[in-house]
Amino acid sequence: MTERRKHLEFLRKTARDAIWAGDYERALSLYEDGLALARSWKDRDLEDLFTCNRATTLLEMDRQDFDLSGLKEILLRSPTSPNGVLAAYASAHAHEVRGEFSRATFYAQAALQKSRDLGLEDWTAASMNLLANLELRESRFESAKTLFEEALGRLEERGDGLSREGAVVSDNLGYCHIAMDRVEVGLPYVQRSISLLDSLGARQAMDYPCLDLCFAMLKLEKLDQGESWGIRALGLGNEFGRQDVVKNSHYLLAEIYSTMGRGDRADEHYEALANYYPDFPALKHYLHQISLTGMLNLRA
Amino acid sequence: MAQQHFSDMPTSISARKVNLVGSRIRELRKGHRLTQMELSERIGVAQSDLSRMEQGEYKVGLDTLFKLLQVFDLKIGEFFGEADTAGPQDRELVAEYRDLSDEARQEVRDFVRFKKMQEQARPDEPTEEKE
Repeated sequence: MTERRKHLEFLRKTARDAIWAGDYERALSLYEDGLALARSWKDRDLEDLFTCNRATTLLEMDRQDFDLSGLKEILLRSPTSPNGVLAAYASAHAHEVRGEFSRATFYAQAALQKSRDLGLEDWTAASMNLLANLELRESRFESAKTLFEEALGRLEERGDGLSREGAVVSDNLGYCHIAMDRVEVGLPYVQRSISLLDSLGARQAMDYPCLDLCFAMLKLEKLDQGESWGIRALGLGNEFGRQDVVKNSHYLLAEIYSTMGRGDRADEHYEALANYYPDFPALKHYLHQISLTGMLNLRA
Repeated sequence: MAQQHFSDMPTSISARKVNLVGSRIRELRKGHRLTQMELSERIGVAQSDLSRMEQGEYKVGLDTLFKLLQVFDLKIGEFFGEADTAGPQDRELVAEYRDLSDEARQEVRDFVRFKKMQEQARPDEPTEEKE
């Protein structure tokens, strides 16, 4: 590896750590520095790599101010290189964020196929996780579960089962079981995930595991525990600006308080949720009377 | 199929609240004379997904669930009444009412209001027994 590459690899590792810690601005700034350097060195390969990393970071920040067609150009230009995998993966993620799920699936499958062909085990597991998440959105829980299991198995084979990536896949697998009413099966996966993420300092990735545990405890009628996880999920959702997590947390907390018979607390959360839907003034009234829990998919 | 019992899973909430389940969505859709195509367009899901939703196999996010409530513009009594307390005559009356045109429905509502006002205005019947 050349000195330049070593320097940029260090930049990428630092940026990845910043992402896991939730410091997206720092990660973005590091990737943009790397991109500028790659351009100044006229190194097309590195430029493509940092273009993909920058796009993925922006997507994590709920921003789409990057050139999606540029990612697809990279994919066409480097069909048999790791950059092609990265470009396919980032394109899939971009389409997912836009709600274009069939396109997202197409690019996720491309990323999976290419990473398998190239023997990139980490990207194979990541692509499987992405594809499985798309299946989850479509309520294809069994097929999502199989993909998550395979992704986790691959990570474990590589000795990465206890990594941040392994923790995320483990949570997703746990959620699949919880959504299929196999709460007792799913719970250990989610608990393992949260404990790993906590020990690895990956706070930004702990929001969904907290939400999943809240949902599981509600299903098990362990309401005090559900309340505690719901409050943590809400806090993390607010801290990292994840509106979907915040809304789901308010809903689950309201259901928990409602089941506890604590109408005033339930009302606070229904009201907070209703504030997101100003054109539906009667929403709070409905939610006090009707439970949507049996139809709810936290990943949709 | 493992997913079939999803929507009809009883939870403790059902004791206090009405659970929205797939079969109820189908009933409400039919009650509102909407085709699957029409409802799926209004809530922003594919028709095939709505079909799976009505079978209890497809779960959605809060945004879609709220759209559904909004489209049906449910009266809470509609939910409770039909599920638990309505007798055969009440059900027949509701079914006949739904067959009416909008104008005729308005007339029925006006008439019901009139009858309620009439009953409120009527002096109480003497209930005490004369000595």
